Amino acid sequence: MSESPGTAVSLDASKTTTDSLSTPLELPDVDTAPQRSEPLAAQRVLPLRRPGRWIATAVVLVVVAQIVHGLITNSFYQWDRFAYWFFRPTILDGLGITLEVTALSAVLGLLGGIVIALGRLSRSPVLRAVSWTYVWALRSIPLIVVLIFLYNFSALYKTLSVGVPFGPAFFSFDESRLATDMVVAVIGLSLNEAAYAAEVVRGGILSVDQGQHEAAAALGLPKGYQFRKIVLPQALRSITPNYVNQLIGLIKSTSLVFYVSLFDLFGAAQTMGSTYPGDIVPLLLVVTVWYLILTSIVSVVQFYVERYYARGATRSLPPTPLQKLRAGLSDLRTRIRREAAV
Amino acid sequence: MPTHMSRRSLTRGITAATAVATLATGLAACGGDSDAATTTDAAGTVTVGRLSNAAATETTLKVSEVKSIRAELPDAVKKSGKLVIGSGTLPSGSPPLGFVGSDQKTLTGSEPDLGRLVAAVFGLKPEERRSTWENLFIGLDSGKVDVAFSNVTDTEERKKKYEFASYRKDDLALEVKKDSAWNFDGDYENLAGRTVSVGNGTNQEKILLEWKAKLAKEGKKPLTVKYFQDTNSTYLALSSGKIDAYFGPNPNLAYHAAKTAGTPQATRIAGQFSGAGERLQGLIAATAKKDSGLAKPLADAINYLIKNGQYGKWLKAWNLSGEAVAESEVNPPGLPLDNS
Amino acid sequence: MTIETLESLETASAAVEVHDVHKWYGTHRVLNGIDLTVRPGEVTVIIGPSGSGKSTLLRVVNHLEKPEIGYVSVNGELIGLRRQGDRLKELSERAILTQRSRIGFVFQNFNLFPHLTVLDNVAAAPVATGKLGKAAAQELARELLERVGLADKATAYPRQLSGGQQQRVAIARALALRPGIILFDEPTSALDPELVGEVLAVIRDLARSGTTLVIVTHEIGFAREIADRVVFIDGGKIVEQGPPAEVLDKPQHERTRDFLSKVL
Repeated sequence: MSESPGTAVSLDASKTTTDSLSTPLELPDVDTAPQRSEPLAAQRVLPLRRPGRWIATAVVLVVVAQIVHGLITNSFYQWDRFAYWFFRPTILDGLGITLEVTALSAVLGLLGGIVIALGRLSRSPVLRAVSWTYVWALRSIPLIVVLIFLYNFSALYKTLSVGVPFGPAFFSFDESRLATDMVVAVIGLSLNEAAYAAEVVRGGILSVDQGQHEAAAALGLPKGYQFRKIVLPQALRSITPNYVNQLIGLIKSTSLVFYVSLFDLFGAAQTMGSTYPGDIVPLLLVVTVWYLILTSIVSVVQFYVERYYARGATRSLPPTPLQKLRAGLSDLRTRIRREAAV
Repeated sequence: MPTHMSRRSLTRGITAATAVATLATGLAACGGDSDAATTTDAAGTVTVGRLSNAAATETTLKVSEVKSIRAELPDAVKKSGKLVIGSGTLPSGSPPLGFVGSDQKTLTGSEPDLGRLVAAVFGLKPEERRSTWENLFIGLDSGKVDVAFSNVTDTEERKKKYEFASYRKDDLALEVKKDSAWNFDGDYENLAGRTVSVGNGTNQEKILLEWKAKLAKEGKKPLTVKYFQDTNSTYLALSSGKIDAYFGPNPNLAYHAAKTAGTPQATRIAGQFSGAGERLQGLIAATAKKDSGLAKPLADAINYLIKNGQYGKWLKAWNLSGEAVAESEVNPPGLPLDNS
Repeated sequence: MTIETLESLETASAAVEVHDVHKWYGTHRVLNGIDLTVRPGEVTVIIGPSGSGKSTLLRVVNHLEKPEIGYVSVNGELIGLRRQGDRLKELSERAILTQRSRIGFVFQNFNLFPHLTVLDNVAAAPVATGKLGKAAAQELARELLERVGLADKATAYPRQLSGGQQQRVAIARALALRPGIILFDEPTSALDPELVGEVLAVIRDLARSGTTLVIVTHEIGFAREIADRVVFIDGGKIVEQGPPAEVLDKPQHERTRDFLSKVL
């Protein structure tokens, strides 16, 4: 910063940058300022010009524009067919299956994960060993194998008799009737998901400071209360981003449910691709865009959930994207005005 | 130690999870999953070639139950009142043999249609089950499916576990990009130096691998075989030039070539071949678990349909008359075991 | 859950009775036969070098640490144990938690719940243990915050407060259960020097109100000012105890003199 008269000035300027957003001041020219009788400390510093950054930005914009242009004009992508397929009932039905399977597996997987994580952290060596083995096995076995195995479960067990959970052994089911494709898909994905969720939850619980456990214990808070109100809310701060990551993986894992004869979003596109073989490419694009939309929605939800669990963890909450955009715009405006003033 | 969770809270967690699982079961059980494109109505008619996306001509055929053939069925099947027909065509369908029709939700195709005709002869209600190709066979093993009508080729290898009633010739074809100058001309030597894709675990794969071995032995340029997860991926590879040709069932390839005409992915058929190698005509057969006692009644039902004309009309409706057989046989000789 | 009291313990009049307590961490012996009696309303200050076992002793009193040998009773009630015939049996986790709710504990690092507001930090325990309804607990919490001079911080989160303010909230949190006795584990050690005073002022206030206090601290001056009794611990043993005028000004033992010469 050769034009900067001294460090005292730049320090002061950095401190007051935020004020300048709301109250753009009239800017003294740095070169002429010493002639005025204004004290140095009262002056604003002109930001450093960065031409390299502008050039890089321009290059990137041109490349992006070319890619977009290519996407639009290349006949290979058949955008008219894309438009035809995007809201077709068969695609939307597939989307519905994807959402249903994902939602159920995400919830069941998380609940299962919490139970297994508690098992992993339990004092009982048996519970620890069983839960460790579960995680080890389910993370090792490919999801496809889990699905195929469950789908053909009836080859191994013709009937299931159900005891305690549904009441004292009231009946036995014909397994193949109980296990509809949807049930099989949700169970398969949940079993798989629970193994990963268990590690995420366990990591979250371990990330909570030991002092928190001690403080809760010293206050004599009941065990369940300690977990639900003290440990879990703090653990969720680190669980959330990891589990959302897991969830996005899960959304895409649902494309394997055709192994249990269920048509999710991808399956629907696949099967339409063979009936209408000329439309394979636009169908794949339809699927891609839908997955992009789903992931975006999840990311937005993640942002707000994380913000919620950040209460108290930082001195002030991070700004929302809208707040950031507003701040960025007014920042830009101030800068332009400042540059223009020179 | 305060760091650990008590067993009591753990048990509570498990109970809650179980409750949710129960709820989910209850919800999902409400959805039905049977949607047959064709039904046998009270008057004894079966409509074939429905919703075919122009692959077939919709035709209504008269079929009535034949008591003597029904009597041959195993008691369990008779008692269930339905014939569970397996179609191993997931995730991408296999038009015109088995695929989702032009209403974009119903299973149609020449194979399920024949299954329905056979069910009508048996006096049973047809029930479709779609699955992946692998699950089709596991489904036969586990009893989930009674009989597969899914372009299954009769081979000696498969006879170890399954029994067959043949119903159609197995003709294979090679499909290339429309602008490709290459032709098969019935001579495998033309494949030297080419890259060809084939379905994993299929009969045509065995044939292709045999050609590959022969070419290697003769010191010709090698034939490269590539596999893809499903036919859509195969066709993407074909149109992008990653493979020179796709070797598959003739009806599928003919449908694909017809449907892509005029699109950027246009293709054509570059030659045909019998599905049982050079010495034998390959046969497509209705497939049931070995010793299930279904092959005989299946063959009798198909022969009944051949004799009474419905068989010919069915093939004609699907433009497959060229693949007609004179009669259905129980466990006819298939692609030999040593053919690999 | 009934907790049997030991009428045979001659210490029914004592607020805290520590009887021959031994504690090991692995092979390292932290407490080596501690006997200590704290009378009701008394302010006891425990001093000693780092690693002498003074914090462990305090944590044994509310059973955050389990002694290998010996027992502790508070107001005549065995902590973490019950007597059945001639034998001592471990108490259920739930009963121990109930016992702890009658003993206040203030940590060196405050250990406030960062995700709860200051008010909720203070009001949580009375609600969770079923002592008070939510409204009553919040009213109590406001009173206590007023008492420690932080009424205006009720809606803030702990990390928005200074260390001294956080420790005052922690004291209010301990008071919310209306304990008969409060244990302080080096309450000012994690604070910047200029924040120590405000916390000591609150403790001084408590001492005057007649609450039984046991304080582990390095603030010798403060000990001299408020302690009824000073206990010097070294090597897991009580070396010397008595009124501050004796232990701090006329120590009898070489080790006590040595320690005091280093900290004073």
